[in-house]
Amino acid sequence: MPSSMVGQTPSLTGFLKSLKQNDIENSIELFISLLKRRQIKNSRPCAIATTHLLLRVVAEPKRKWDAQKLIARVRNVGRRLIAAQPREMAVGNIVRRVLGVIREVAERDEDPLTDSEFSGSASPITEEFQRPALPTRFSEFSPLHGAAAMPHNMHSGRPGTADSVSMDLGGTPQRPALLSTNASYAGQGPPGTSLFSILQHPQGRSPVATPPPGTQSPVTGPSPSRRAIGGEIPEKLDIKAEVIDGIKELQDELDVVDNQIAESALDHIHSNEIILTHTSSQTVQKFLLTAARKRKFTLFHAEAYPNNHEATHVTILNGAQGEDDSDERWKPLTSLGITVILIPDSAVFAPMSRINKVILAPHAVLANGSLLAAAGASTIALAAKTHHVPVVVLSGVYKLSPVYPFDTDELIEYGDPSKVVPFEEAEFTDKVDIVNPLYDWVDCDLVDLYITNLGGHAPSYLYRIVADHYRVEDIDLNAKLDAVAKKG
Amino acid sequence: MAPSQPSSGDEEAFDIVATYRRLLSEDPDLTMPVAAIESLIVGLTNTPSTTVSETLDLVSKLTVQLKSGVSNPISLSAGTDLFQQYLISNLQRARGDFDQARSHLVQNGRLFIERAKAARETIAGFGKHFVRDGNTVLTNGGSRVVGALLRNAAESSNGSGRGSIRFRVIYVVSHSATGDSAEESETAANIAALRERDIPVAEIPPTAIAYCMDMVTSCFVGAEGVVENGGVVSRLGTYQMASLAKAAGKPFYVVSESHKFVRLYPLGQSDLGIEQNIVDFRTARSSEEKESAKDEGVADLEGEGATSSRRSCTPGDEVDYTPPRLISGIITEGGVLLPSAVSEELIKIWF
Repeated sequence: MPSSMVGQTPSLTGFLKSLKQNDIENSIELFISLLKRRQIKNSRPCAIATTHLLLRVVAEPKRKWDAQKLIARVRNVGRRLIAAQPREMAVGNIVRRVLGVIREVAERDEDPLTDSEFSGSASPITEEFQRPALPTRFSEFSPLHGAAAMPHNMHSGRPGTADSVSMDLGGTPQRPALLSTNASYAGQGPPGTSLFSILQHPQGRSPVATPPPGTQSPVTGPSPSRRAIGGEIPEKLDIKAEVIDGIKELQDELDVVDNQIAESALDHIHSNEIILTHTSSQTVQKFLLTAARKRKFTLFHAEAYPNNHEATHVTILNGAQGEDDSDERWKPLTSLGITVILIPDSAVFAPMSRINKVILAPHAVLANGSLLAAAGASTIALAAKTHHVPVVVLSGVYKLSPVYPFDTDELIEYGDPSKVVPFEEAEFTDKVDIVNPLYDWVDCDLVDLYITNLGGHAPSYLYRIVADHYRVEDIDLNAKLDAVAKKG
Repeated sequence: MAPSQPSSGDEEAFDIVATYRRLLSEDPDLTMPVAAIESLIVGLTNTPSTTVSETLDLVSKLTVQLKSGVSNPISLSAGTDLFQQYLISNLQRARGDFDQARSHLVQNGRLFIERAKAARETIAGFGKHFVRDGNTVLTNGGSRVVGALLRNAAESSNGSGRGSIRFRVIYVVSHSATGDSAEESETAANIAALRERDIPVAEIPPTAIAYCMDMVTSCFVGAEGVVENGGVVSRLGTYQMASLAKAAGKPFYVVSESHKFVRLYPLGQSDLGIEQNIVDFRTARSSEEKESAKDEGVADLEGEGATSSRRSCTPGDEVDYTPPRLISGIITEGGVLLPSAVSEELIKIWF
């Protein structure tokens, strides 16, 4: 279900409070058990809890980190959290974001050490000459790494444009130097191509966790280059502080994500439109409220029986009452003069010809543009397709997962079947298998636009956003960190 | 075998087309782009050059010869383009030590082949993620990568030693009248390999694709080239399969190594830049109608040499173009790409 206000959030606040008191290992265990027992569910609470927990892990008092150890520690914790509830993809997303932050910080720290590394690169060249490395992995564009069967290898260079001038590669057939813009993924161009991978000099090694060493052209200036991490002595205190800053930025992002999404509401909702939505999603409500201040429209609200209908009724009638973790109060749409029509889910097809827009909020967005949303979303999306109604999906970037959905059936969580048929009807339940899927998988073909906190994107563009926010080597948390990284 | 066109100033003795064909026939595991790169390297070895521009000039001459000597140069042009761009970017950089750069290329000929083959293995490693228990996979024949992927899925086990994924394969096999050997023997080898691993394989004619589409879970095909908009140029029949898969709502995956990405943007089947006589209109009188069908206006525009230098494809080698909207994903050694991501990859080497 999309993040709703009902039920589980007391556990989130309780957990956050307990974070301050418990030690780290206990907190991790507590979170794992909350996840397993589904006392904390839906993307946003899980994301918030994970962020806070990882902040505690990094900020462990009296512990000095170097980048490699920190990455390994976060990976370990992340693995455990994800294993506790693999279908809560927000947990994995946040873990990978944090790992990305750590790598970025580490690379920034190594920038002044570029020259010294470079001179030491002569020996690796010869030793690796004999070893034909595997063809390098693709650039960060592989939106999803096939749950990596293989370690992600080398990163190859690209004919840098600006950089080529400053190259001074003294003769050895260096591969074209890596563009140095790739250290931070936040919105920068992705690094060099690996279509050249087949022709590269084999010296570009295959660190799984780290970018290839050595043969960089000495790039002067502020642009960080991708280097072997952990080679030099990073300033350990700095890493910790900067990573903590990065995680706090993540927390801030999670706090304002709904507001940022709502900023574009006026662009998408026009006067006298008829909009269809379902479930009690906070994000959608805020989006519509922002638009409702200036426009009058009509809302068809499908009640999402049997898992979310009560919450939906409450939302429609009362807005948010502030009992949940967000402590927000907002008025229901009706108080702003919007006509809200509550319809059962079976009725979505009938009015669809008169509907102008469908707005959905997902549980998770997958990197190929498809999404998992509350049960009923697939019906709505198919009905919309039939009538050529645009489907707009509101989702923060934290819900975007870099994992490729090889088998979409596995991603669907099943809930309590007694909500469909109560256990009292024993005769009936005896003869019938009753399932209550909580989620639906909606294919990318059925979605027209994703509105995230970064703006609106076509489903076919999501791979870029994934590439900007996640590092390839973090996608598979089970892959072993390469030995290169350890040789320091 | 087509003789290479003699071009002035070149070593007449080096016949790149012959080298290319020889490499292909010697090593059945070699793909066309890699063979093209190899033959260019052999050309570089045989022809000494001392300056960067001489080398680049040589390479482009050889490329032109190669492309005009082969009836369907789409796939190999992926390799030649990649090689040329790599040279341009590398050699201009290594001004100080040109010889070393050149000798690196020359020595590492074998290495490139190894890497290309390793790419295929990496892709095959993804196999077990795509094929699940109870799935039925549809494929058309002849692709070595798909064969490796399916074999890998068949062999993948959870430590018990036997393959643990129970899936079935439907192979589309077209028995052409000419008994085309290359494709059929490759298909037959793939099928035999799968059957040996206890995977039930059914062979169907192309006319039965729609019939069996209901029972299919996903489709995998190989490619000769992946074009800029994310579409693929592949064996004739692929477009048909893709259209039927889309109509039935089944995912359609293209399996291809990354070195097959080519800078071509076809707008339709006739826009591939090659001549294929697939649709050959005849009347009772004769087939000389073909000549008069050529539009005179167009012929004037194109000039004389343009169309005559391309020979038609041999039957059995025909290709078609599958547009990106029919493709669910492109499986490369770097992971699964959306068709929209292909152009970005290409831009990075070209600009």
